[in-house]
Amino acid sequence: MTILGEFALWIALPVGLWGAILGFVGGRKQRGDLVLSAERSVYAVFFLLILASAGIITAFVTDRFEYWYVANYSNRALDMFYKVSGLWAGQRGSLVFWALLLSMFSCIAVFTNRNKNREFMPYVVGVLLSVSSFFLMVLLFGDVNPFERLAFTPADGRGLNPQLQNYWMTIHPPTLYLGFTSFTVPFAFAIAALLTGKLDTRWIAITRGWILLSWFFLANGIIFGMRWAYQELGWGGFWFWDPVENASLLPWLTATAFLHSIQIQENRGMLKVWNMSLVSLTFLLTIFATFLTRSGLIESVHTFAENTKIAMIFLTFLGVVTGICVLLIAWRYPLMKSENQIQSFLSRESAFLFNNLIFLGAAFAIMWGTLFPLITEGLTGQAITVGPPFFNRVNLPIGIALLALTGIGPVIAWRKASRRNLAKNFIWPVVVGTAVVAGLYLQGARQTMALITFGVAAFVVTIITVEFVKGTRARAHIEGEGIPIAFVHLVMRNRRRWGGYIVHLGVVMIFTAFAGAAFDREVTQTLDPGESVSIQSAFGHEYTLTYQGLSSPRGQNMLRQAVALMTVERNGVPVGSLTAEKRLYVTWEAPVTEVGIRSTPFEDLYLILASLEDLGGAFENDASSQRATFEVQVNILVGWIWYGGFILTIGSLIAMWPSKASLTPAPRRAAEERVPAEPVGV
Amino acid sequence: MKKNHRFFVGLAGVATVVTYLIWTGVSQTMLYYLTPNELLARVKDDPTFHQVGVKVSGRIVPGSWEEATEHTPHRFYVADLEDEATSFAVEYDDMLPDTFNDHENVDAVVEGRFREDGVFEATLVLTKCGSRYEATPEELAG
Repeated sequence: MTILGEFALWIALPVGLWGAILGFVGGRKQRGDLVLSAERSVYAVFFLLILASAGIITAFVTDRFEYWYVANYSNRALDMFYKVSGLWAGQRGSLVFWALLLSMFSCIAVFTNRNKNREFMPYVVGVLLSVSSFFLMVLLFGDVNPFERLAFTPADGRGLNPQLQNYWMTIHPPTLYLGFTSFTVPFAFAIAALLTGKLDTRWIAITRGWILLSWFFLANGIIFGMRWAYQELGWGGFWFWDPVENASLLPWLTATAFLHSIQIQENRGMLKVWNMSLVSLTFLLTIFATFLTRSGLIESVHTFAENTKIAMIFLTFLGVVTGICVLLIAWRYPLMKSENQIQSFLSRESAFLFNNLIFLGAAFAIMWGTLFPLITEGLTGQAITVGPPFFNRVNLPIGIALLALTGIGPVIAWRKASRRNLAKNFIWPVVVGTAVVAGLYLQGARQTMALITFGVAAFVVTIITVEFVKGTRARAHIEGEGIPIAFVHLVMRNRRRWGGYIVHLGVVMIFTAFAGAAFDREVTQTLDPGESVSIQSAFGHEYTLTYQGLSSPRGQNMLRQAVALMTVERNGVPVGSLTAEKRLYVTWEAPVTEVGIRSTPFEDLYLILASLEDLGGAFENDASSQRATFEVQVNILVGWIWYGGFILTIGSLIAMWPSKASLTPAPRRAAEERVPAEPVGV
Repeated sequence: MKKNHRFFVGLAGVATVVTYLIWTGVSQTMLYYLTPNELLARVKDDPTFHQVGVKVSGRIVPGSWEEATEHTPHRFYVADLEDEATSFAVEYDDMLPDTFNDHENVDAVVEGRFREDGVFEATLVLTKCGSRYEATPEELAG
């Protein structure tokens, strides 16, 4: 099976390349037979990559340690779950996994569009297979072949880094990859639109679902990563502006901008060049993200290993794709004239444009900070770095501005907002926002940025709630339906709009959680069994944790485990217990810290076993080695990130759900602009 | 164009604000990234460099770690990766990462300020094991 997988990988490359050439040539020469053959290559590449992936998984499951990749990421004792997910645990396998997902999405895109959007298909297939072939080339010629064999067969593998043995870590990378790879489809349609010169909104209408899907996966991938960091890294934070985290955030930022700016093109026929540029930029950033993770160019905890060969291959690809995009857009520039002008500063177009500009500003600032060591080293020979303080400073004001636009954008009128439109929509939300700030201030909250964020969040939530209430009431009145039914019908009739509002609510919740971190508190204390540590929450109540002692059970896959037990009292009332651990794994030199978390809707009690006086003694259950240092944190609203992520997911699903009769103006516009399809060949 | 006047002012405003944020952000938070050798050379040339935030990557000197007590911070030595003779003391008053130890060759990145008394006052200590994610065939054989 594994040998078969290796062959499949080698065959996939020529098939992919051949299909890409057939696609472009078939499109150019209007040869239906060639295009059909190209489409079949898409299916074939997918099948071959399934074989390759199955080969890798088989090697993991059957403990084939003669493979370098398996030996490095598995051992006999590893759980079956992590053996299977070994496919994406390391650099080599994850590149195969990436190619697999890309070819899967390529298949779906080709299969669903092959009849109704024939004129785009040759080039779409060409682009998709070119990108797949690129990844196959990296795999086969970048010294990262997952099927590389060692000269000998080790008795056992090195095992998987224990910090990666976590549920969230298992689903975080695939979710991000799903987001990255699915964005190739809108990009392919955009390039096809440029090549065919069919530059109306059709390519957008076709790929709207894909754009949303990709955005949705990216958002969730990022949130899962935060969740893993929070649970596993053991310091109570969830984001630390690491280059690779930033790299995953960049395409999300530009994709979000794009998601909004296409609405202006659909409704007002503006921003055509801008949208083309954004879709290209986002695609390039998805590749850039993989490049940054894989090249080791910038020091990061996430990088797999330094590999300059891969860096060169990726840089060349990025350069070539950028060049092609710029040339194509320049070539088709005359066909992308704007149909309308911005009429007023106070209009939805303008609000969306500001949204775009700010998103791009944020992306630029983050990119700048991430690449700053490289830039300064290149220019002056002296690397200068910027860390979390830089990113927080820059992104806090930007984030607050974006949050405010989340409320303003959807309700301000198109073209030109009248005074009445503004007063009607914004007076009450402003009042509520101000009241929230005043209330929190009176309660003693003094963190300026956090207060502003809470105020703006209240402003946005009020706007969205009012919209829902007004819409539901109107519908209940006109259709004579009950309120719950009217609400459901309201959402169903215009899923994009109301789904979007729900996504906004999720985003508001996540931003509120970020602001809540300003009120986090922590205490560090060294304790003997029987002693207590107290910490006051920002909400006023007090937790008292009493150290009960250490125990050292022996776990699977682990050499030793020291578990500290703490009983927890809230304002003197017992509310349960928490454990925090140090673990030593069979295959891992360094001990690993496992935290204890007690989650409530508004705050988390977070317990870290910072250090043990005598780690060796503790592992031996030595009664005199119980003295330990603990860090206790009360993290305010941190759970709202996960709840917000859940709401965001629901909203995205509503917006994405295919609907037959959507009442948005977009499909109408698209239908009006639709040119009678010219069949390609056949 | 006249109607768009305010709009373009707004756009320019956003661009200015973002540029300003980046500019001040960089100038107030930047850290020089140096090796221990470079750091010692720098402070010799320019004593004001003691006040500047720096990030230094080196190797923890084996056997040099004195653990923190109630009143004193962690203390250990960091040496240059290429020139082990160059080293300086580091003080750190927070939790050290799990991978921190002074009996293997652990590479570390310390962030903070190099005090006039020759002690590095760290605000952040990161460790990286060369073998953390992938091993060479030689290591697997061993």
